[in-house]
Amino acid sequence: MKLVAAAKVRRAQEAVVNARPFSETLVEVLYNINEQLQNDDVDIPLTKVRPVKKVGLVVVTGDRGLCGGFNNSIIKKAEARIRELKALGLDYTVISVGKKGNLYFLRRPYIPVDKYFEGTNLPTAKEAQAIADDVFSLFVSEEVDKVELLYTKFVSLVKSDPVIHTLLPLSPKGEICDVNGICVDAANDEFFRLTTREGKLTVERDVIRTQTSDFSPILQFEQDPVQILDALLPLYLNSQILRALQESLASELAARMSAMSNATDNAVELKKNLSQIYNRQRQAKITGEILEIVAGADALT
Amino acid sequence: MTLNLCVLTPNRIVWDSEVKEIILSTNSGQIGVLPNHAPIATAVDIGILRIRFNDQWLTMALMGGFARIGNNEITVLVNDAEKGSDIDPQEAQQTLEIAQANLRKAEGKRQIIEANLALRRARTRVEAVNAIS
Repeated sequence: MKLVAAAKVRRAQEAVVNARPFSETLVEVLYNINEQLQNDDVDIPLTKVRPVKKVGLVVVTGDRGLCGGFNNSIIKKAEARIRELKALGLDYTVISVGKKGNLYFLRRPYIPVDKYFEGTNLPTAKEAQAIADDVFSLFVSEEVDKVELLYTKFVSLVKSDPVIHTLLPLSPKGEICDVNGICVDAANDEFFRLTTREGKLTVERDVIRTQTSDFSPILQFEQDPVQILDALLPLYLNSQILRALQESLASELAARMSAMSNATDNAVELKKNLSQIYNRQRQAKITGEILEIVAGADALT
Repeated sequence: MTLNLCVLTPNRIVWDSEVKEIILSTNSGQIGVLPNHAPIATAVDIGILRIRFNDQWLTMALMGGFARIGNNEITVLVNDAEKGSDIDPQEAQQTLEIAQANLRKAEGKRQIIEANLALRRARTRVEAVNAIS
């Protein structure tokens, strides 16, 4: 199971690498358009900041078990956030992605759930699109005023962090903000690599600053910049969601690898202990039989 | 002189090679791009991308996004893209019918928004398949 999960981590990693050309180009274009729009008031539905009355929570969990504390930690984080929101007097709704999360919320009818999505082995743009559609329509129809994404960020093969990112309203500069308001620039991209160091599998995290080259100065906009931004931001939304799904999958696989590795080690040790006890019993029985025979032989002579 | 076309979706590169001409559907109508086109940036609507490749026209269904046309380099970023040859005609037709039924059943602003988007996408896929046959 550990090796199966290790092979899947490699595939998940490839998926992240394949997603890079898209997000790099997107970030470049976003930056350039923002420079052009510096002084204008941008009024796009997806960036509208409204007073918050209802919050949508997208909770990303796994599909299967046998992954240690992975699903539990993200669900605990979701429950904690729900409590926080209740304490602030805000209404909330949950969008659950992944079978484990679905089962959990199904058993708790007191938590309002908007939609259940099934997870997949490899998140594709189609799944991200489905979730993005749902989130988009919730936000634009003003049913929710803020959408937060709860997923597990991949830190290393043994460590992963459940995090909460504000998905909507988007900031026109393409920043991703934490619930505490700490914003990460979209051009600071992080990705992980599964490599080996000293014969052991490790993961390296690299941060790359995407180079934002200038647009050629004679570049004309076919439509006005606001309309173009309007078309770009859903793309950005999609890629954010896909990224979260991919990171969550990678964390799940890493958790499964380490849980299965522990299970294997425990099983080997258990086998060793049981073998020893068995052998001791067997030898004790043989010794007993020999003693009986010797005693019997002694009694006869 | 040929154009280099790159069609990117969030999780993969759908097309990355040289073409002779493309016809793109944008929010403000269709635009044809030949080599040495002036650089422009445009939003791409949910619609069909026609590519002239080796003297044949290929269609691709695009689900909305953005295109940047530079010095003989076209970069198209879309939410999803499917080559016309990869779409199953019956399945596309069924998806279209389901989308139409959903739109009729939709109530409330939110469901109508979702149903409309789904309908446009299904229609684009059906058009992409029909355009090549």
